[in-house]
Amino acid sequence: MSKSVIQVPVVEIREVAEGIFRLTISAPEWSRTARAGQFVNIQIPQRNDLLWRRPFSVHSVDPVRGTLDILFAVAGRGSAALSEHKAGDSLNVLGLLGNCFTWTADLQEIIIAAGGLGIAPFILLLQQLENWPGKKTLFLGFRSSRQACCMQQLGALGAEMVLTTEDGSLGHRGLITTPLDDYLASLDKNGKRMLFLCGPTPMMRAVRELTQKYDIPAQVTVENRMACGFGACVGCPVELAQPREDGQTYMLACKDGPVFPLQEIVFND
Amino acid sequence: MTDLSTNIGRLRLDNPVLTASGTFGYAEEFADFYDLNRLGGVVTKTVTLEPRPGNKPPRICETPAGMINSIGLPNAGVEQFIAQKWPFLQQLKTAVIVNVAGKTPDDFVRAVEKLEVLQGIAAYELNYSCPNVKEGGLSFSSNARIAEQVTALVRAVTQRPLITKLTPNVTSISEIGRACEGAGADAVSAINTLVGMAIDIHTRKPRIASITGGLSGPAIRPVALAKVYELVKALTIPVIGIGGIMTAEDALEFILAGAAAVQIGTANFMNPVAALQVVEGLQRHCEEENILRLMELRGAVQVG
Repeated sequence: MSKSVIQVPVVEIREVAEGIFRLTISAPEWSRTARAGQFVNIQIPQRNDLLWRRPFSVHSVDPVRGTLDILFAVAGRGSAALSEHKAGDSLNVLGLLGNCFTWTADLQEIIIAAGGLGIAPFILLLQQLENWPGKKTLFLGFRSSRQACCMQQLGALGAEMVLTTEDGSLGHRGLITTPLDDYLASLDKNGKRMLFLCGPTPMMRAVRELTQKYDIPAQVTVENRMACGFGACVGCPVELAQPREDGQTYMLACKDGPVFPLQEIVFND
Repeated sequence: MTDLSTNIGRLRLDNPVLTASGTFGYAEEFADFYDLNRLGGVVTKTVTLEPRPGNKPPRICETPAGMINSIGLPNAGVEQFIAQKWPFLQQLKTAVIVNVAGKTPDDFVRAVEKLEVLQGIAAYELNYSCPNVKEGGLSFSSNARIAEQVTALVRAVTQRPLITKLTPNVTSISEIGRACEGAGADAVSAINTLVGMAIDIHTRKPRIASITGGLSGPAIRPVALAKVYELVKALTIPVIGIGGIMTAEDALEFILAGAAAVQIGTANFMNPVAALQVVEGLQRHCEEENILRLMELRGAVQVG
């Protein structure tokens, strides 16, 4: 798939939880070809002081309407400006960028671990897995019910779900890693499984320990500052735990990722 | 049809729009977006004699109308450049200028010697001025004597056009430019990034790992324009203007100040088709203003 820059209308923008927005753009071609893990890079209009585009995972697609959604929290000036857009406004979007989550046909289960906005790429993943015969189990944690989102979409996508909030306002009280630990401990050791992960750095570190403990192969999607999104600025290095054969110690989040084998990378703060 | 062509010494370009080193990869990264042959030329990411891993993250941060980078010239070394990157660059019809850096004068010479076997390199750009490479203790571009020495050493091993890329982080950029000219450079390009810094007030840490880095983008354009104007007055060899050029209008300012060509840098990140849009905008400007040869405007700034 070749990359391109498109000028597209905002179809809809909704605040789906406190400070969390789902933005829908018209992108017929990408709505058919996007794969979970891939991202788009959106120019923030009317803010000439903000030079960089802002990268967002593809959250979900509707190939019938020809739309693509992103999910984002207002975290800084760029996302704040983006949240002020209205249906009909035009956005300059670069995509589709990056690689995607991959799995093999012989898996019996895919386990998803998502923390907060880390849920973003997994709606698309579950859409892709809609007719997949294996078991799908989602471990999803939020800070509190106020930040909880995507419940309606998840209900229709056929994954078993374990939900936690840190304050206990929704689902189990505590961090997602506790029920995940219990679940992984309960599994038979011979099953073929894969774990997909996205969330804040402390959670990713904790889940990596669990996948090591239970010897489960895992892929993680990372976030990183990036000026371009397609390998030109070389500003988004991800450190490798072991240098590659050719001596390389860094990969690029935008081009080599954003999805990496969990055991191969180091989480820098 | 307007004539957009220009000459950088013996090197003729179809139009004056080049891409700045370190912002365009090895050109292949942009091949999805447009026909690269529509550019005047491409300048590669820096090639060094030995592989370099690059600096620790964070390597970049956004600043008002600009960005700070400290990438550290990561590259796989000249031999891997020849094996992996050159096959794509070789089939381009546009001018391919290879940017070279080194820790020592000898590194520059040996890297250029290895590149000499390649057919089709239009010119070398010697990167004397990356502010983010600390080892060796030498900053080739902030010392006229060393800039002169390196230029002369490389001049002795190649007939190809030599462009020396200058830093603005000096007292007198024209003094360094004159030293390069005297040692046989065919052109200078200016400016490289300005040393800059940003601090995260919550973590109280510098926003890039190397503390300071190179500031680029529209924020530096007026500084760049003043340096280019100064160099044009001080030198007889052509000056290639670089610094925050986002549009054809920006490029025209540099041409009016006397630049024989321009390089598009940071704009490539924001807008992957920026360099092509500058070419198209220059063409359009000439048509609207009935200018037959774009280079009629070179140095045409009216200074009273």
